[in-house]
Amino acid sequence: MMLAKAFRSDLLKIKGKGLWLLVCLAPVGLIALQVLNFGLRYDYLMKLYAEDLWGGLLDSLLMFVPIALVMGMTILSSLLANIEHYTSSWKQLLALPIPRTAVFGAKFAVAAVMLGVSCALLVVGTVVLGLALGFRAADMPVADIFALSFLPYFAAWPFLALFLWLCMTFRNQAVPLTIGIVLAVFTLFGVSEWLPVSWPMLAYTGPGQEVFVGAGLLAGAVILLVGMVHFSRKDVA
Amino acid sequence: MKEWVIETSALGKRYKGRYAVSNLNLKIGKGEIYGFLGPNGAGKTTTIRMLLGLIQPSSGAIRMFGQPLHKNKMSILRRIGSLVEYPSYYGHLSATDNLEAIRRIIDAPKERIGEVLGIVGLSKEAKRPVKGFSLGMKQRLGIAGALLGSPELLILDEPTNGLDPAGILEIRELIKSMPREYGITVLISSHLLSEVEQMAHKVGIIRQGELVFQDTLESLQQQARGCVSLRVSDAERAMVLLDGCGIDSSLAGEHLNLDGTDDAIVSRAVQELVMAGHSVYRAEERRKSLEELFLRIVGEGQG
Repeated sequence: MMLAKAFRSDLLKIKGKGLWLLVCLAPVGLIALQVLNFGLRYDYLMKLYAEDLWGGLLDSLLMFVPIALVMGMTILSSLLANIEHYTSSWKQLLALPIPRTAVFGAKFAVAAVMLGVSCALLVVGTVVLGLALGFRAADMPVADIFALSFLPYFAAWPFLALFLWLCMTFRNQAVPLTIGIVLAVFTLFGVSEWLPVSWPMLAYTGPGQEVFVGAGLLAGAVILLVGMVHFSRKDVA
Repeated sequence: MKEWVIETSALGKRYKGRYAVSNLNLKIGKGEIYGFLGPNGAGKTTTIRMLLGLIQPSSGAIRMFGQPLHKNKMSILRRIGSLVEYPSYYGHLSATDNLEAIRRIIDAPKERIGEVLGIVGLSKEAKRPVKGFSLGMKQRLGIAGALLGSPELLILDEPTNGLDPAGILEIRELIKSMPREYGITVLISSHLLSEVEQMAHKVGIIRQGELVFQDTLESLQQQARGCVSLRVSDAERAMVLLDGCGIDSSLAGEHLNLDGTDDAIVSRAVQELVMAGHSVYRAEERRKSLEELFLRIVGEGQG
């Protein structure tokens, strides 16, 4: 399948570009913040969350997950697109016998897989941190930990599709990066549940988590499709 | 009927109301090296991008290998190797990995990477990151990439741009060997006639988006070959006279130009004129170099 071929080619191209480092750094950073948080005021927080220690940790993490996700999507999209922009490799790549939809789809798949790895690492990090802080393993809310790591991610798919499209369309990355950072900040404030910027947060806090996850996946797919069609038709400079 | 590898009919591309390329009818036969000439900005790269499906034509049609490009794009692109303008590469990857990134998409056999690196003479540098390469080496890597899929048609856009004389010679020898050794048809664009005249069989000259010459290189050379110019007392009557004797000539002001510089024809023309009572003041040879002719063709219609 053409998509798989382009995907394998893209995996080779990101070799040595520091993208995997970024993928690891993001969850490590989130966990490090909580190490600091719990390290500085261990006694206070242990008392505050005495009822539900794991839940307290997840709530503390929650605030940073959507913003980190959207920021990560912005940076990853830009870095991925830049690999081709850098020496104008688009003309070489798109003159190969491969449909442009496959090229676009493969970039999305690479970004989605890398972010998925980030989320998985966040699960591991949360568990390790909780145990290190002396929380009881028997109380561990496994489903909630997975929900915190993955539901906001799926709800943020519209942003991944949008940023990837923008980054691949514009050679100048200032526009998509600015939009990405502004939107990332907006995820912190629950503007309106009708706006996608609120979905990553609401996908975990609810109510109606599944609606926000579904809406995110659907909107992401729609934007991805529109982006693909545009990318397939545009002239390559 | 000759089989055309590339055939365009009335091909045009409009940018913001201005035609970058218009009414272009290219015909490139199998096994030819076709030199696509024109000054910078004449529309060479635009044409090549259309041939590769990178940009959509505004009008006209492209047929390659006898099939319409817009319908059979994938199967046609599979038979083409290309290098558009300056080379594209992934600087952080080695030469081998750069080719591997292409190979994974086009499904060429793995051994082919070593082969093409050998063809362009980069086998020793295969493991080095490409960002440390000289421009000539990057250009050769670009050609290696174009050859990777064992194409039947090679489209090279200004492949010797920015190379030193040794590099130009190297690339030229490489391109010349393509039809001979591999039966590959080559379309090579350049803004220098001198660069393609030593390898092309056929040339097309494009000026301001329009094809103004398309024929064999010999025919261009024919035109470039000198003519003998006669200054006679009455050029018009002299022409009629010569016409009657079966000698082709043309009027250029007060001069009469004889096609060709064949000694026998010149002496016969002079003899006929003198016998008929014309005064022949001068008979001189006018020579045009190929380069002059090219510049004249390209320069027409400007200013």
